[in-house]
Amino acid sequence: MEKNIYKPVKCEVIDNIKESPTINTIVLKPEREFSFLAGQFASLTVPGVGEAPFTPSSSPFDKEKLEFTVMRTGRVTEKIHQLKKGDIVGVRGPYGKPYPLEEFKGKEILLVGGGVGLAPIRALFLALIETYKEYKKIVFCCGARTPSDYIYKDKLFGEWQNLCKKIPLSFRITVDRKDENWKYMEGVVTCTLDGLDIDVKNSISVVCGPPIMMKFTTLKLLEIGFSENSIYLSMERKMYCGVGHCRHCLMGDVFVCKDGPVFKYSEIKDKPNIWV
Amino acid sequence: MEKLYIKKDDWKEFLKGKIKANKIYAPVENNNFLFYEVLNEEKIEKIVYDRARTVEPLKIFLYPFKEFAVPEVEIKEKIIVMGATSCDLQGLEILDSVFKNGDYKDPNYPERRENLLIISFDCKNPYSSCFCWLVGVKPYPEKNFDLNLSLIGNGFIVEIGSQKGKEFIGNDTRFYNPNEIQLKTLEEERGKVIEKIEEINREYSLKNVENLKGMYQKEYWQKVKDIENCVSCGSCNFNCPTCVCFLLEDTSENGFFKKVKVWDSCLFPGYAKMASGETPRPTLFDRYANRLLCKYWYMKENYGVFGCTGCGRCISGCIGKIDKRKVLTEILSEKVKV
Repeated sequence: MEKNIYKPVKCEVIDNIKESPTINTIVLKPEREFSFLAGQFASLTVPGVGEAPFTPSSSPFDKEKLEFTVMRTGRVTEKIHQLKKGDIVGVRGPYGKPYPLEEFKGKEILLVGGGVGLAPIRALFLALIETYKEYKKIVFCCGARTPSDYIYKDKLFGEWQNLCKKIPLSFRITVDRKDENWKYMEGVVTCTLDGLDIDVKNSISVVCGPPIMMKFTTLKLLEIGFSENSIYLSMERKMYCGVGHCRHCLMGDVFVCKDGPVFKYSEIKDKPNIWV
Repeated sequence: MEKLYIKKDDWKEFLKGKIKANKIYAPVENNNFLFYEVLNEEKIEKIVYDRARTVEPLKIFLYPFKEFAVPEVEIKEKIIVMGATSCDLQGLEILDSVFKNGDYKDPNYPERRENLLIISFDCKNPYSSCFCWLVGVKPYPEKNFDLNLSLIGNGFIVEIGSQKGKEFIGNDTRFYNPNEIQLKTLEEERGKVIEKIEEINREYSLKNVENLKGMYQKEYWQKVKDIENCVSCGSCNFNCPTCVCFLLEDTSENGFFKKVKVWDSCLFPGYAKMASGETPRPTLFDRYANRLLCKYWYMKENYGVFGCTGCGRCISGCIGKIDKRKVLTEILSEKVKV
């Protein structure tokens, strides 16, 4: 990290991939190595426009490039979608606490991602499959509104599913509304949790998605027997500094930037308005 | 703590010598209020030693309203601030914890702090908005100063709070050991000021202020009518010695990263609003509650001390004429049990 905590590392845009009608993945080449652990986030500067926090979606093991999957929602993300090869942006971080992979060892891992929430989960997923022998099995539940809203289509409906033949990995894929070509499930993401073949007493679940999805997924997980300690949520708040100074991300007395962004449900269940 | 005494006239002469090489700010009266002004020979005569806090909080010297964070500001100037009171020195506990003592250092604050020499004053005549004693802060400084002055008779008892303060005095023979009577007077006067603060605040009770812990629900706060008078102006934030919230604005140009840090206010409706348009605190009551919970709960959890020092600026500066002590007293009483 730079001596000045707010000074970004220069990165060159090497690709800007359209994932869905509202979501792009930008591929960056940092001027110098930028390391992070799955679950940590970074602040991305579009020079002269603004800065916003995102969790990288690329593998933490990839030291050459850095990817962010970004939904177009505001001023900065609009500009991110317009970035072209060769453009320069800035990245500072990494910030926050990563997923505690040590605690995941020997357990069954359930990943639940919805919409653009698949982005942080992708970084975790790529880290998990790199070290898959450490875990009993990995179940990846994915949801999106429609088939075209899915991100990482090439990987999700190809390469990643092929891995299931080689490693203890399975997918449960759904959309809220299917089309005529859809061959997976239909229904909101919580329906992928029905009839799960998982030992809830020896499992970890990781949830990321829009607030409403996280809320109902958490409730469902509790209902099927996951303990409050075994549900990991990736929280989102307005942020500027990333280091616990500016106080914008406070959720009660906890900083999403510094104490999170990954929390066990038990750590935040009593905090105010967690499902904003 | 080492105590010395200096006659008022000698102190003025001492200051006259000091202003030649130092930029010194001190409280001067303007329209009945005390403001910091840069000293010159004429102003030395106008310093007010026997009242209470200034209008501006001490943080303005350490954490300006707006400044570059990238690139960091080159801070060379050493400044001296006279007249800070105990409430503002207590505020440094929060500022230092946030910007200097944690894992991440602010790009500018630590150097500004290092370059600041503080000559605090005892609070002699608290305002009707003062309530330091109710949040456990004494009206006279016990730490975080280099020198502290207390006007006793026709001179000052000077307490030496740091090596920096000791060096500022040097071997000047105009400072000498105080006598027993002067020391006794100091103690008596300090006791009287505490009594005065108790008298000012006799209608209010903040004894169980830690009970605010857990009181997120706006249903508690909606019962306090006065809160409706809040116009979300942010005056309480900007006047507060411990409010630290800021936003970072990107102003990068010509291939260079530039970021500006600007104070922000948690009472502004957009403060916590995310790109999606959602905010965890959509109503005025949520936001008002959040500010007080931050002062009496979150900051205590985060840094070990209350984020309120009882300076009363949020009361005297409130456009909606909300008296926080009244709000707290009501909310902590049985009346508002949900």
